[in-house]
Amino acid sequence: MIDELVNVFSRPQPPAQKQEMGFFTDTTLCIGCKACEVACKQWNQLPADGFHWTGYSFDNTVTLSDTTWRHVAFVEQLDGEAGRNRWLMMSDVCKHCAAAPCQEACPTGSLIYNEFGDVYVQQDICNGCGYCVAACPFGGMARNPGEGRAHKCTLCYDRQKDGMEPACAKACPTDSILFGPVEQLREHARERVERLHERGQPDAYLYGAEPAGEYSALNAFFLLMDKPAVYNLPEAPRRPAAHMKTNYLFSFAAALGLAAASAFFFAKGEK
Amino acid sequence: MKLTKPPSPERIEETQQPLSLFQIRDKNEWLPEATPTSDILKAAARGSVGEEGYYGVPMLKRPLWHWHIALYFFFEGVSAGAFLLASLADLFGGGQLRKLSRAGYTVSFLSILPCPPLLIADLGVPSKFHHMLRIFKPSSPMNLGAWSLAAYSIPLQMITLQHLAADTEIFPKAIQRLLLRLVPERLAGILGIPCALLMVSYPGVLLSTTSTPVWSRTRLLGALFSSSSMATGAAATSLALALAESVDHRAISKMEKIERLASLCEGVALAGYLITTGKAARPLLKGRYVWHIFLAGSAVAAQLLLPAKPARKRKRGLMSSLLRSALTLAGGLALKWAIVYAGRKSAEDPQAARDASRPSKAAPGWNKARR
Repeated sequence: MIDELVNVFSRPQPPAQKQEMGFFTDTTLCIGCKACEVACKQWNQLPADGFHWTGYSFDNTVTLSDTTWRHVAFVEQLDGEAGRNRWLMMSDVCKHCAAAPCQEACPTGSLIYNEFGDVYVQQDICNGCGYCVAACPFGGMARNPGEGRAHKCTLCYDRQKDGMEPACAKACPTDSILFGPVEQLREHARERVERLHERGQPDAYLYGAEPAGEYSALNAFFLLMDKPAVYNLPEAPRRPAAHMKTNYLFSFAAALGLAAASAFFFAKGEK
Repeated sequence: MKLTKPPSPERIEETQQPLSLFQIRDKNEWLPEATPTSDILKAAARGSVGEEGYYGVPMLKRPLWHWHIALYFFFEGVSAGAFLLASLADLFGGGQLRKLSRAGYTVSFLSILPCPPLLIADLGVPSKFHHMLRIFKPSSPMNLGAWSLAAYSIPLQMITLQHLAADTEIFPKAIQRLLLRLVPERLAGILGIPCALLMVSYPGVLLSTTSTPVWSRTRLLGALFSSSSMATGAAATSLALALAESVDHRAISKMEKIERLASLCEGVALAGYLITTGKAARPLLKGRYVWHIFLAGSAVAAQLLLPAKPARKRKRGLMSSLLRSALTLAGGLALKWAIVYAGRKSAEDPQAARDASRPSKAAPGWNKARR
């Protein structure tokens, strides 16, 4: 009792750091079965998104949202001249950036990196300010219009704590979604790209396996077959906080300059 | 199987227990219009199938801020700008600008009043507003802003209490005496200056530190907001001065110079902001918000172009000064309103998002596609 009162502001020790875990989503293996979407909804008890026929190929979920944490994109490419017709599918997910703009933006400390190096929204702390929604360069963060908090993929934090793999990776029938230690996944992904190149698929490349300039690597990265924009991904995301200091500098310069000029006008006698 | 009627949405809202996500989405199932997917589908550009991108579906999520935040940015700018001028007038005016400083502090206090309710109402979970002050995280402009608002309110309240004690009889005698003796107004003013500087400086930086193209392409949004805040703070103070019983023409003429300078700074920052934002500034230059920008621009032009009269000849020119200040206030509100709302339009435009994330030296990206 006394101990509790004395240490009312002390925080419990965070869990010990574990190996960094992540996803590698290989779009060449995706068959568009949406088992990942369904498994995610079932495990995380996420409700349905309504019933819409979009006409966008087989994609009726359209985008990641507060209640859709895996979203399978379908891209039909009909190129009669080159004789290359393709049906690209890609299971999109929160990218779990190694340096996440949403985490940088979060004013409450609700967004954290958990012991597995993944970006996690602590629901008891989030107050729904919406800054992370605007900060995410992938559009992966959304606020629930009903209960008002931000939601996104947790990388099945609860399952990971029990040593299990996330529901989507478990359900994926073709191992298009692989879960594991990020370093191992990257190694595997590079080998996979090489193998695809050897087998006559020179289009294959990795999206987010290593840092790109100011933007960090992604702990959930992808193997893509076409431009990122085709899958509705940004070609070169920018770190929103990259220019924060310059912005502050100009902002303070303007305010201070005007304040100094005002002080001068106030001190000066009437002409 | 027996079918039971689902409870009405009102019933669910009345429930005391926190709702699970599932219950809430059920509510939206009866109102399919309210689901996020339908919202995004509405934003998707029809007929863009076959173009670059993904069926015209927005790449980014729309910022959730709207009129609460636009009004908040306006009021807190007026308040912090007026506070800065009031404390500087008190410090440097040599006792001759008491009226100006009084008017400034009054404007500052009145315009900060709507700010906390606006901020709290904007949250998804308003009851957890105090989580903003749960940690100190200056790397998040919103956290820094919440702290600066909290810190700024202390000297402002102290000064206001003292003024109330001096001017009115609402406090019991003992408390009145205590307030008049114990509150060091000048010291409170000095302590408030850094907080007020932060208050005018952070909103533009907050918007800039996002992925929304119209806000994040530039480094001048902070300067635009801070100079606009100074201009509106000065305009509100001179309005209060001009509407006072006995008009202090000397103080008004000083304020006029400050308003002009701040407007000039605002005009330069606005031009710089629009130029550096480039194509991403389209929501501000086309459609309804072009009128907001036009109003803000005309307010700047009015301040700069209409001639000022020296204090001795001012007595008849008061009306033009009043009009100018009112126009500056309207322009400042229009500017902040337009910029906050343009963010929503900008994020809905997948082309703007793609253009904003083209490879650059600083961010080369991962695109290695051959086509």
